Amino acid sequence: MSERTRGAALATVAGLAAGWLALALLVWLYGDSPREVVADLVGGTWGMPYGVGQVLYKATPLLLTGVAVDLALRAGLFNIGAEGQLAVAGLAVATVASRLPVATPAWIAIPAAVVVAALAGAAWAAPPAILRARYGAHEVISTIMMNRIADAVVGFALVGGLAIPGTVRTPEVVAGAHLPRLEAVGMQSMRGSAVSLALPLAILVALLAAGWLARSRIGREVVLVGLGPIACAAEKIPVARRLATALMLSGAVAGVASIAPVLGYKGYFESGLGAGAGFGGIAVALLGRGHPAGLVLAALLFGTLEQGGLVINGRVPMEVTTVLQGVVIVAVALADARVRSALLWRRTA
Amino acid sequence: MPPALVLDRLDKRYGPVHAVDQVSLSFEPGRLHAVVGENGAGKSTLLKMAAGVVVPDSGQVTIAGARLAPHTAQEAIGRGVGMVQQHFALVGVLTALDNVMLGAEPVRSLGRLDRAAAKARAETVARDVGADIDWDAPVETLGVGDRQRLEIVRTLMRDARVVILDEPTAVLTPGEAEALYVTLRRMADAGRAVVVVTHRLDEVRDHADDVSVMRRGKLVDTRPMTDRGEQTMRGITRDIMGEEPPGALERRVTKPGDVALELRDVSLGRALCGVSLRVRAGEILGVAGVEGNGQRELVRVLSGLAIPDGGEVKAGTIAVVHEDRHAEGLVLGASVRDNLMLGELGRFTSGLGLVDRGALQREAVGRMERARIVPADLEAPAASLSGGNQQKVVVARVVAREDRSQVLVFAQPTRGVDIGAARAIHAEIAAAAGRGKAVLVVSADLAELRTLADRIVVMARGRVVGEFPPDTPEARLGEAMLGGGEAGASEASA
Repeated sequence: MSERTRGAALATVAGLAAGWLALALLVWLYGDSPREVVADLVGGTWGMPYGVGQVLYKATPLLLTGVAVDLALRAGLFNIGAEGQLAVAGLAVATVASRLPVATPAWIAIPAAVVVAALAGAAWAAPPAILRARYGAHEVISTIMMNRIADAVVGFALVGGLAIPGTVRTPEVVAGAHLPRLEAVGMQSMRGSAVSLALPLAILVALLAAGWLARSRIGREVVLVGLGPIACAAEKIPVARRLATALMLSGAVAGVASIAPVLGYKGYFESGLGAGAGFGGIAVALLGRGHPAGLVLAALLFGTLEQGGLVINGRVPMEVTTVLQGVVIVAVALADARVRSALLWRRTA
Repeated sequence: MPPALVLDRLDKRYGPVHAVDQVSLSFEPGRLHAVVGENGAGKSTLLKMAAGVVVPDSGQVTIAGARLAPHTAQEAIGRGVGMVQQHFALVGVLTALDNVMLGAEPVRSLGRLDRAAAKARAETVARDVGADIDWDAPVETLGVGDRQRLEIVRTLMRDARVVILDEPTAVLTPGEAEALYVTLRRMADAGRAVVVVTHRLDEVRDHADDVSVMRRGKLVDTRPMTDRGEQTMRGITRDIMGEEPPGALERRVTKPGDVALELRDVSLGRALCGVSLRVRAGEILGVAGVEGNGQRELVRVLSGLAIPDGGEVKAGTIAVVHEDRHAEGLVLGASVRDNLMLGELGRFTSGLGLVDRGALQREAVGRMERARIVPADLEAPAASLSGGNQQKVVVARVVAREDRSQVLVFAQPTRGVDIGAARAIHAEIAAAAGRGKAVLVVSADLAELRTLADRIVVMARGRVVGEFPPDTPEARLGEAMLGGGEAGASEASA
């Protein structure tokens, strides 16, 4: 294990420990027994097949948005806009998939839906990407603004004709566009949970993204640009184009995240579906640290906490797990900064 | 007289690197003590421990008889140890006076600043060391030499008995360096201990009372400079490198070919005002000048990072070693492999857009071995290499691209680089010219230009102000560099 990996693992463990401590303290303050609540939380998630399925369902879009944020991060860009990219893509996917010919077979409908999701996400990331590449406008500001615009545009489009009149949901997608749930493809134990084939697809995307960054010319140059744009420009690597590519690809992956709730669970898009996964992806990317396995583990962790919050909601407010998530992120970031400055100190001194 | 500062078995590790290994050393008042060694030999770390900036793992520092271990920079300053760092810690928008007052402002009642008292004191200190400073000028308008004098005055205003300077002459012209040593000598004559970290052996020969040599964290020699002959200097070089130094570069016999690079009336803002140059194939043209007189912009134009406002650049493909290897030369966080191959991935990419990693690896290994980069680890981040080896990476990349470029440009190719690496880099530059490349070397180190170049042009205030043969005495070149006079110096910081 390299020094950096060890440092990352150490920071994560420290962050998790701090998070659990905060959870225990909160639960105790509510007058409940931390031991029992944690036992409930674990039992209701990893302790039963349905719980596992639900954790995996929650983790699926988080993994994809995590990959999305990570892709941008590798180019030195902070894509805060996964939330809006996901929402716009969700609406686009549902709209297109509900208008396909009724008899469209799955092998056409699903790939077509994935492509639509990716294109919609990329399109929503395009304005910040272009503003950044051409004018140097900070992508944090512009992606945040695009989130607000997405909120408005999605609502407007739903009311303006894309939704079933009188509701805020689109029509049902055609049968072929439904992503089969895992219970339907031989994993009966997960009966009732919404985990679908979107999960293996998400893992595939994570691996493809890692491979692209490591093996393709453009991917490698994206990473180099993220680490040292001035030196790259001096060696005539097209820095602006690489930045734009990374941000739009990030948007595309965030868009694909929408298929988990839309095609794998509901079968239609409604206002607010998938909300939160875009921001959750930031946490996943920070915790996953640019490694596909790290991203998967981080997505599972946050999926567990989300599902766990529902499980313990009867005893303590589910928001305690939100607090836990927050504490984990801050603590890991802190521990990470400590580790990083220690490593840097060693190098430069 | 008792030593002003005693270092007793100081030891410091950074992870696997034993930066300073049980070093004991003392510095006497009234003497100028030079500390020399290659990059990464531990000189800076040792003296930072003396100044309380770095905490030693073990060992003790004794200042004027008081044992302090470990101590802080504040404490060190309080006890009279001041350090002028390589990178100045000045606030550009504040005036010179504000900067020397910073952190030690004399106050009148109710906490009002006593600027008059501060100015009087600063002027006294400056006069004592022969520095003439415009106290009301914002620091950003001062030249590098003035900024350094300001740092020294600031240190002295805190009653430093021991003054440590980390590579003070790296940024100075020969004339300014001489002036600095006059200042340092005055400080020593006033009973202070002066410690200078340097790469330049001529400075040791001409100015030091004592010399200490460090190599790989250990003190290998410390002695008074009783003899300044060639034998002694060779001995010191041997101590620094740990082996017989490679011979100095022999002059090449050149047969210049056709003009490969021609600039005609190139201008860029206020930085370049009608620069005209010609370099023939197989020829090395040296560009001398005080920093900030357009050399940087000249290189930016040649590399395509800046588009000239007027004039014409005629050349084939140009490969450039940039002046600032940390910003323009290297992606510090990326591996040595990626840095050796930066910008060339396109040549190793198949139809599917995938990089042929085997071919990339073979090429990178070849470049690394040829350049003798230490450690020979392609996975190591560039940031983990010493300055000399970082520069070898940049030079190796540019030289490897030779077959696709007709012109090679080297900006400050050996700045902050130790003797061994500098000689290796010089050999590469000379060899490239020998193979028929047109070479342009921009350097603040006149000795380097005189060794390498076939012709030397001097730049001042954005113009070429003269052309000289390489055997021109340094003093004569220095005069031409300052030909712009005061205006040249003030533009240097603009």
